[in-house]
Amino acid sequence: MMLRRLHVLALAALLCACSKKSEDAPKAPSQTSTAAKPPEGKPVVVGLVIDVGGRGDHSFNDASLRGLELWAAGKKYEGGRYVDAPAGEVRQSISSDLSALAPEVKPLPVQPLVLQSKAQEDYAPNLQLLVEQGAKLTIGNGYLLANAVRDVATENPEARFLLIDSQLLDAQGKAKSLPNVRTVLFKEQEGSFLVGALAGLVTKTNKVGFVGGIEVPLIKRFDVGYRAGVRTTNAKAADALMAVYTGSFNSVSAGKEVAQDLIAKGADVIFHAAGTDGLGVIQAVKEARAAGKTVFAIGVDSDQSHLAPDAILTSMVKHSDLAVYQAAKDLVEGRFTAGEQVLGLKENGVGMADVRVEFPGKAEALQKVETLRQQVLAGKIAVPGTQAELSSFQVAQP
Amino acid sequence: MLEVLHSLLFSTLDAAPALVFAALGAMLSERAGVVSVGVEGMMRTGAFCAAVAALVMPTPLAVGVGMAAGAGIAAVHGFLSIRWRSDQVVSGMALNLVAMAGGTYLLESFFGPNGTPSITQLSRWNIPGLSQVPLLGALSGHAAPTYLALTLPFLFHLLLSRTPLGLRLRAVGDKPHAVATLGLSVPALRWGAVLGGGMMAGLGGAVLSTTVLDRFEQHTPSGLGFMALAAMVFGRWTPLGAFAAALFFAAGNALRIGLASSAPWLLDLVPQGFLLALPYLLTLLVLALQGQRGHAPAALGIPFEQESR
Repeated sequence: MMLRRLHVLALAALLCACSKKSEDAPKAPSQTSTAAKPPEGKPVVVGLVIDVGGRGDHSFNDASLRGLELWAAGKKYEGGRYVDAPAGEVRQSISSDLSALAPEVKPLPVQPLVLQSKAQEDYAPNLQLLVEQGAKLTIGNGYLLANAVRDVATENPEARFLLIDSQLLDAQGKAKSLPNVRTVLFKEQEGSFLVGALAGLVTKTNKVGFVGGIEVPLIKRFDVGYRAGVRTTNAKAADALMAVYTGSFNSVSAGKEVAQDLIAKGADVIFHAAGTDGLGVIQAVKEARAAGKTVFAIGVDSDQSHLAPDAILTSMVKHSDLAVYQAAKDLVEGRFTAGEQVLGLKENGVGMADVRVEFPGKAEALQKVETLRQQVLAGKIAVPGTQAELSSFQVAQP
Repeated sequence: MLEVLHSLLFSTLDAAPALVFAALGAMLSERAGVVSVGVEGMMRTGAFCAAVAALVMPTPLAVGVGMAAGAGIAAVHGFLSIRWRSDQVVSGMALNLVAMAGGTYLLESFFGPNGTPSITQLSRWNIPGLSQVPLLGALSGHAAPTYLALTLPFLFHLLLSRTPLGLRLRAVGDKPHAVATLGLSVPALRWGAVLGGGMMAGLGGAVLSTTVLDRFEQHTPSGLGFMALAAMVFGRWTPLGAFAAALFFAAGNALRIGLASSAPWLLDLVPQGFLLALPYLLTLLVLALQGQRGHAPAALGIPFEQESR
């Protein structure tokens, strides 16, 4: 009860912080799919509900927030309100594997409205609240919101929704579709394959580690793709690969403890897919480096290099930022379509961030990873996404 | 094998201090008869204030600020539960909610949502000689809180069971009227325990942001305060019991991590979920074997009124 009231307060604060333009925004959702671009000064409200990982995870939530706030609206959230972002900042935030797209990212007449969720029970009320606040498009960020999006979208057939990272499931757990919901899934295994291949080339101890959050099929795709990548470049390291799940997405200390354990057992490259727990992984790697060990961490979802420039080898970037931006763009241009999208390496859904650290043999290693990337793009390598597919995965001979 | 044990021990000692301090704090307050559900909130306050203070002063001093902040927010609990005799569980929960929302609000308004800027961590001490000894070497290379966590429980034990003040604190939690009959002030003793408990919880929080991490992260302490309460109950409201329980939790957790990384074949036999539940299963097992009634202070949660019987 208390929490809900706090949320309403938070929303009120947000609404005050927005320019009064948002109050003038047309409340009635547009019915026609070919609506003209709304005139300047009447921005379309796009809502976003982020999961319990919260704002500031430097990872999954921050990626989607970047897509909506920085790319689509050209704003950044500072001190509890939105300020216009300097032009250079938008360009700078576009990770290098998308650099070809840079000219396409331009501010849209969009007004972001973001709600954080403190508990799982908040998802549905938060989504409904955004619809009632006139959001033309409401985004549910994360598989945890799948059921909430399904329920709210069924009750509000005139509103549109984007669900990131999950299909819509009916009560029996079978996939279903709704005419007003777009879902986006990513082939995390393809990006994880590339960073795994690099990890296999970089490791000196022939031991690499993986730290996962909660063991769900989504996180398994990171795990399995990474294993396939390591196996491709370093069979010995693949046999000794250590994978540990923390069982949460919001505990820095859990992530740190797991990483310390892996480092103590000789792992010198650690990839994490554990949300906020991953900040603990990076912290552990930073401290091990300060103690004189040569250890690298591989970031996830966003380019996490800025968290520890020396310690982050690269990041497996997942472009929910682009998926969110694209949906907002489609909405503004009247081209929003429902349905299911699956975005892999080819569709710019996932990728590998720039490698900014130095290590011996860097040039050849990057060359090798690039070759593998081309092979995945050309369909010569089918990266496994499940444990079963991994068992039958054969390393392609060059 | 020895290496596995070494990393198990090291990891336990590195992760335990925050839990030990918070459990001791909760124990102190509850032994004096004041329910301490608000530990989570006190830890969060301590963690936030220590991280902010460390931006402008040396980190050890900042830890002191975190302790003071813990005591400060415990004072609110003190006012509500001692002065105004409100329901202590409700007051503690309210404290948790305020700290949860307030921490996020302050963080976002002053530093943005990405956490406070990095601070200097408490330095780690390598004990010369010791680090070469097998197994015992795991005692070396920790920051000051670890060593403090290994000694404080014994000091608390001496305080509670060997000093007049300790006797009074225990009495005020069991039979406050008897204490009042002797002409001692029940509110004063309880105030002391609540503030002391807040300081310890604040210290636990400060450890999280100055040793475990190098900044305040918005989820801190993500449920550790409730684990501390469980450790206190598990340890039968005694300093050494709470200490042992906190170490047990930390070791159980380190064990499941160690098992997953050292024995990957195990994961083919049992699912990860089972390993994740391992610390709690061990707790259940010990509680079942312990098989005795609780040892909660008799007057726990009952506001003191001079006139009542």
